[in-house]
Amino acid sequence: MKRSYVIQRILYAVFIFFVVLTLNFFIPRIGVHDPAERYYPPQGGMSTIEYEIIKQFTREQYGFDVSAFQQYVRYLQGLLRLDLGTSLRSGSPKVTALIAQRLPWTLVLSVSTLVISLFAGLLFGTVAAWKRGRWQDTLLLNASTVSVALPSFFIALMLSFYLGFRLELFPAYTNPNMVAQFDWSWDAIRMVFTNAALPIMSMSLGGIIGYSQITRNSVIAVTNEDYVVTARAKGLPQATVLYKHVLRNALLPLATSIGMNIGGLIGGAIIIEQVFNWQGMGTLFLEANSTKDYPLMMGIMLFLSAFAILANLVTELLYVILDPRVTVGDKR
Amino acid sequence: MADTVLEVRNLKVAFPCPGGVIRAVEGIDLDIHRGECAALVGESGCGKSVSALAIMKLLNTPPAVCRVDKLWLDDLDLTHLPDRQMERIRGKHMAMIFQDAMTALNPVMTVGKQIDEIYLRHSRLSRREARQRTIEALELVEVPEARSRANSYPHQLSGGMRQRVLIALAFACVPKLIIADEPTTALDVTIQAQVLDVLKNMQRVHRVSALLITHDLSVVANMADTVYVMYAGKIVERAAMQEIFLEPLHPYTHGLLASVPRISDERQPFVQIPDAVPHPMRKPTGCYFHPRCPRSNDPCRQRMPRLEGPDDGRAVRCWHPLRQPHEVRS
Repeated sequence: MKRSYVIQRILYAVFIFFVVLTLNFFIPRIGVHDPAERYYPPQGGMSTIEYEIIKQFTREQYGFDVSAFQQYVRYLQGLLRLDLGTSLRSGSPKVTALIAQRLPWTLVLSVSTLVISLFAGLLFGTVAAWKRGRWQDTLLLNASTVSVALPSFFIALMLSFYLGFRLELFPAYTNPNMVAQFDWSWDAIRMVFTNAALPIMSMSLGGIIGYSQITRNSVIAVTNEDYVVTARAKGLPQATVLYKHVLRNALLPLATSIGMNIGGLIGGAIIIEQVFNWQGMGTLFLEANSTKDYPLMMGIMLFLSAFAILANLVTELLYVILDPRVTVGDKR
Repeated sequence: MADTVLEVRNLKVAFPCPGGVIRAVEGIDLDIHRGECAALVGESGCGKSVSALAIMKLLNTPPAVCRVDKLWLDDLDLTHLPDRQMERIRGKHMAMIFQDAMTALNPVMTVGKQIDEIYLRHSRLSRREARQRTIEALELVEVPEARSRANSYPHQLSGGMRQRVLIALAFACVPKLIIADEPTTALDVTIQAQVLDVLKNMQRVHRVSALLITHDLSVVANMADTVYVMYAGKIVERAAMQEIFLEPLHPYTHGLLASVPRISDERQPFVQIPDAVPHPMRKPTGCYFHPRCPRSNDPCRQRMPRLEGPDDGRAVRCWHPLRQPHEVRS
């Protein structure tokens, strides 16, 4: 029965989320013995008593004064109110507010990248499969070998240097005022996309080639299936055979791969964002990491995990629609 | 003169490979009359299925290379017909039933939709009319509750039902010729009999000619009017169905028949033809069957015999047939 499958997958996702959030909570607490000491290292000219008072104050302020289990309960209570805690930055901003501020910028990059990679990948992969063994196919094979050998930051640097500095086609470096000046005007939107052009290109390349490869192999595998011969024996034109019978089945492995990639979508590309100084989630995480902003790091990690779990859940549920055989194991 | 629905002259199929060329089919001739069921019989790898696909022009070229001197379907000359126009013929005038109905049906499409497609392609019907025809087609092949079964996916049907769906698919447009490639091999024996009955019935009712490809002699006895025995890419014997069982002429046909186990002779060991079919890239010189033939001698090793016999009757390709074709009353 389909409903039991859906419920089972949802319960499973909730369970995984619970495990992740628990690990996410306890792992940082293994490393830091006394967070107060980390945040306020002893300074000269301060008496021991004064320092103890400051530390105690800090513990209370950040909630480290109670046992780990009590902290955990508090953390869970916070989560129920969608509160991921308070960052250690000056001004004590909420972690959720920081994420909300950065997420759209990362989405600009990652959603464009996904859409471009997907469409280009599908197109190239299908062409390569159709022209199997001819130059189109060989080109794809060689391109994928090269792209695997080239790290993405190298591609990013080369694009930034040649298309950005040399040819001045696109900004080589993100305009620092882009975020502050953004006001939803056409000019602002255009500015965002010209600035995003090079990061998107650097990120898409791997994706295009990855999806092309999956599509190619999957299309070739499906083309050899008997039901494709049946479809041709029915007298269907080649385009219909390709579209209705080959691609429809070849998309199944692609859907899995997309589902897995969507999880990484909001994490942002840490390296690419860094290269172009793009103020997204990747840079935020890096900042949190270098300032030992544990609440922020934990918040980001949890948010990313939740999104990845959700993406996988959606993929699994979508599979029920895409592939009617999925529920075959259940009693009908 | 009975009218001929399928006329094939000198059909050749080869597959160039790194180590040489595989000659899968080496010039076969077929004539199938209206309403007739011809069986193409032989061991696995003798080129039966490849011949069928070549007649349907379904082989991918490359890798395959096909040559045919004459390929006529009723009044249509398919000899040099380009792919585009062949698409209009397939499914409408000639259709095929495949061996394994599990893999021959698209797993992510309901069987109804897969049959609808053929009506939508070859006749100007709306979706609703096409579905109506689909349900009728399923009823004709005795699928119970056809209306609801049409909405099933292939994996939700039993093997016999799936094979019926394939038969419905093939007969959808009432073609001139049906090619059935081992239509019952994937089924167990009881279902096999039912499916054969359905197939035979459909063929008789619509007076459709059929080319039945099989290695199963019981299926031949059940269905066929004429039998072509194929060995290593060549036709070695041609005869009417009863003749081949009563009086086989070619030693290979004789061997095939002798190797059918009979319930009456319980004590006898199974008879079999020694050795196996030659590797398609290393066929022997002379008659391809001579290494396995009890009657072979020098000429057999040197020269390939011709298929000898009257044009439309019995014929045998052998230097030492069990009897000469003209000696046999037909």
